[in-house]
Amino acid sequence: MTMTELMPMLRSLSRAEKLHVMQCLVSDLAQDESDLLRQNMSYPIWSPYDAFGAADTMLKVLAAENSSHA
Amino acid sequence: MRKPQRYSFTTFDPALGEAGFRPFLPLTLTYGEQSLLANGLLDTGATVNVLPYQLGLELGVVWDKLTTSLQLTGNLAQFEARVVVLEAKVSDFEPVRLVFAWTQADNVPLILGQVNFFMEFDVCFYRSQLSFEVCYKKDV
Repeated sequence: MTMTELMPMLRSLSRAEKLHVMQCLVSDLAQDESDLLRQNMSYPIWSPYDAFGAADTMLKVLAAENSSHA
Repeated sequence: MRKPQRYSFTTFDPALGEAGFRPFLPLTLTYGEQSLLANGLLDTGATVNVLPYQLGLELGVVWDKLTTSLQLTGNLAQFEARVVVLEAKVSDFEPVRLVFAWTQADNVPLILGQVNFFMEFDVCFYRSQLSFEVCYKKDV
């Protein structure tokens, strides 16, 4: 069923029915979002969080390169 | 003074819906004579920039010629990494030198982090509008 077919049907519902449809759809969407993360699964995070030693080394290398290019 | 450039968030998996959108910035990376266009993930939680292994190879970087090793964190800690400096061009802003941790990991995006992408560019995120703006620091 396309949106063009569906919209007139939805508009013909009573106020209470419209609110019920909205609640069902919001609940389904929320469930979809929570299904993205499943129990007992690991999801690797690749972001180099708190890599301060690496940052210090990299800034020193960059400074040395900038000096040699100056 | 150049005006800020606005970009849209990108999704690579429509099945994820709204949650799948990420701020990827197109930029040209250059090493010596070799250049390529890549999309870097703007990651304010990343302490450093990260260059995936394959991308470094495509730029002609030679692993054995890099002498400074790094210890990264999180899931990247298990892979060796070395320091490489690339030239980066974003939009029509001046080219800048960006320092990267070139990791031997491959299933990781090109990451633009605090050192030193966010030291060179100011970024404003409009997540609710699925867009972000980038401005070169010297244009502020």
